Amino acid sequence: MTDATQSDTAFRPKPSLPPPANTVGVVGWLRKNLFGGPIDTILTLLGVYLLYLIVQFAVEYGIINAVWTADTYRECLDINLGEGACWAGIGAWFNSMMYGRYPDEEQWRVNLGGIILLLWLIPFWLPKVTGKIQVGMSAVLTFPFLAASMFIGGDTGIFLHVMASIALTLFVAVWLHVAACYVLGRSLPELLISITGFTDKDDRLHKYVLLGAFAVGFVIALIYHMSWDLVEVQTTIWGGLFLTLVISGIGIASALPNGILLALGRRSKMPVIRVFCTSFIELFRSVPLITILFMAVTMMPLFLPVEFNPPKLAMVIVAVCIFAAAYMAETVRGGLQAVNKGQYEAAQSMGLSFWKMMALIVMPQALKLMIPNIVGSFMGLMKDTTLVSIIGLYDILLMGKAAGQNPSWLGFHTEPLLFTASIFFVLCFAMSKYSQHLERTIGGGYGRR
Amino acid sequence: MSLDTQLPDDGVHVASAISDEVVIELASVNKWFGEFHVLKDINLSVNKGERIVICGPSGSGKSTMIRCINRLEEHQAGDIIVNGTEMGTNIKNIDAIRRNVGMVFQQFNLFPHLTVLENCTLAPIWVKNMPKAEAEKIAMQYLERVKIPEQAAKYPGQLSGGQQQRVAIARSLCMSPTIMLFDEPTSALDPEMISEVLDVMVGLAESGMTMLVVTHEMGFAKRVADRVIFMDQGEIVEQNTPDEFFTNPKSDRTKLFLSQILAH
Repeated sequence: MTDATQSDTAFRPKPSLPPPANTVGVVGWLRKNLFGGPIDTILTLLGVYLLYLIVQFAVEYGIINAVWTADTYRECLDINLGEGACWAGIGAWFNSMMYGRYPDEEQWRVNLGGIILLLWLIPFWLPKVTGKIQVGMSAVLTFPFLAASMFIGGDTGIFLHVMASIALTLFVAVWLHVAACYVLGRSLPELLISITGFTDKDDRLHKYVLLGAFAVGFVIALIYHMSWDLVEVQTTIWGGLFLTLVISGIGIASALPNGILLALGRRSKMPVIRVFCTSFIELFRSVPLITILFMAVTMMPLFLPVEFNPPKLAMVIVAVCIFAAAYMAETVRGGLQAVNKGQYEAAQSMGLSFWKMMALIVMPQALKLMIPNIVGSFMGLMKDTTLVSIIGLYDILLMGKAAGQNPSWLGFHTEPLLFTASIFFVLCFAMSKYSQHLERTIGGGYGRR
Repeated sequence: MSLDTQLPDDGVHVASAISDEVVIELASVNKWFGEFHVLKDINLSVNKGERIVICGPSGSGKSTMIRCINRLEEHQAGDIIVNGTEMGTNIKNIDAIRRNVGMVFQQFNLFPHLTVLENCTLAPIWVKNMPKAEAEKIAMQYLERVKIPEQAAKYPGQLSGGQQQRVAIARSLCMSPTIMLFDEPTSALDPEMISEVLDVMVGLAESGMTMLVVTHEMGFAKRVADRVIFMDQGEIVEQNTPDEFFTNPKSDRTKLFLSQILAH
């Protein structure tokens, strides 16, 4: 009897029921999104017809009527009367659009440089590798020097010589580290310390073991690098996609660190730093990139001493870096403002210094919020580099244009543009997809508060 | 809000453990937010092991006062001395004080991008240069003490408010502070979760920690506090033992306040 009274008063939730049929599954989706009513149905059919027209044209122009082998544009026109693409021309100009006028027999240097960079960045995606930040930093900070010494060649000068040797040492170290992580499950520093028998010694001595190992590697790399005998390839004949990637790559790699520094400077309590950073950002953000490029290549040399005559490409890269940093600074500042004030206070109340607070608490959260904007800036920057064609650098766009002015290929304009557009699309779409992947995975991806 | 039913008021006051040593000294502290005079000539000295509950209407300056003690707010006049270190513009002094003073916030302020365990080990590793393994061991001890060791691998967003606040307390304790500041620790919590946080705080009081608690939980004040401070308009209006404070308030302002918060 007592049992019955208890179950009468006890709270018993109602069972959960399935949703009504017709609202779930493929049929439900179609009904809701495509055939909701007479107007929806008409619009759907119209849309399908338009899609059919577009695909039909693309297939006829790009595949059925396309010419795949020809020696001149004239030959293409004779075959398809201009009703299809002349992909033969892309084949003929492919090399130029990739490397510009970089000599054929030296192009392996560019390829090798690209492969080294890829290899350097692969550990970033290998789950078992520790110290990914250090791996990434080593690549960003030293690879440009190695690349410069490889791509330019000739007598590189002592500075580039040393920096390239450091880069080589670090590159080998990164892959030894990867091997150590996967084969032995330990990091390279740990391994070096235990091999030399310093495991039990004072922590401060460990640093010297690592420095010693680095020094040995550096000397070997220096001697090896000295044995290189590369023909000099002036930057003035660099071109094509290679040039585009050099300019945008350096711009992208430098934009984030410089942008972070500028954004922090703009929020600083120190007036001199704040005013400097604010003026820098506002000045370069308010001027078109093309103006900055023109000033860099035409005006700057007038102010510099004659004997100090930097190559045009160097000036262009500096200009792009400045422009990208100014834009990135505002993106970063937006992200910093989105981080809750309580996060700063919690970090401060635990005694974290300003830089540790920024690096460990604020930036990781801000950067996650900023990923769509940052990648947007990167994509914008990559596409903006086509402006260097206006000041006479033969990037992929200008190279494609040059194709149509060649006597054998007069009038060959559409295909190079389509080709260039599709290359930019592939690069930018890949960045966009990767950013979406990052957004999902970074920082556990769990609800912020 | 905040009825004294949150804690079983069994009439047993947590044994007090006050020593003679003064650990916090506020002398004629004044602070302005722009033109607004938020702290007016505050004098307060706190002994080691003392538990102080600070109450008062919103805008009375109680949060601002405890936030001055670890320099989340800067005072413009007067002296603040914590553990014998003078609070000034010297960054080293500020950092030294912050290492010894833990703080728990109304909004928890856990780091959402780090797991519970990482939240707890971050400061010991980066401020005290403690080896990671040791920091994790200590963190697990404190997480057990606040009764959520099983949540160590989760992210703050996956926990309830009460659990988050307990993590926040454990996180502060991992720095082995000598003083703990609580800034309305239960005000953002659902009623069902208030008692689990208060239980942890009572446990902390029993261990002899010096505590300054801004709260409206009068049950907690009666049970734990050695001294209750009532603030209004940036001044300390009245301070007394909880018995005297609740049964025999002296100032009319205090009587009004008590009648309002205990009325329903």
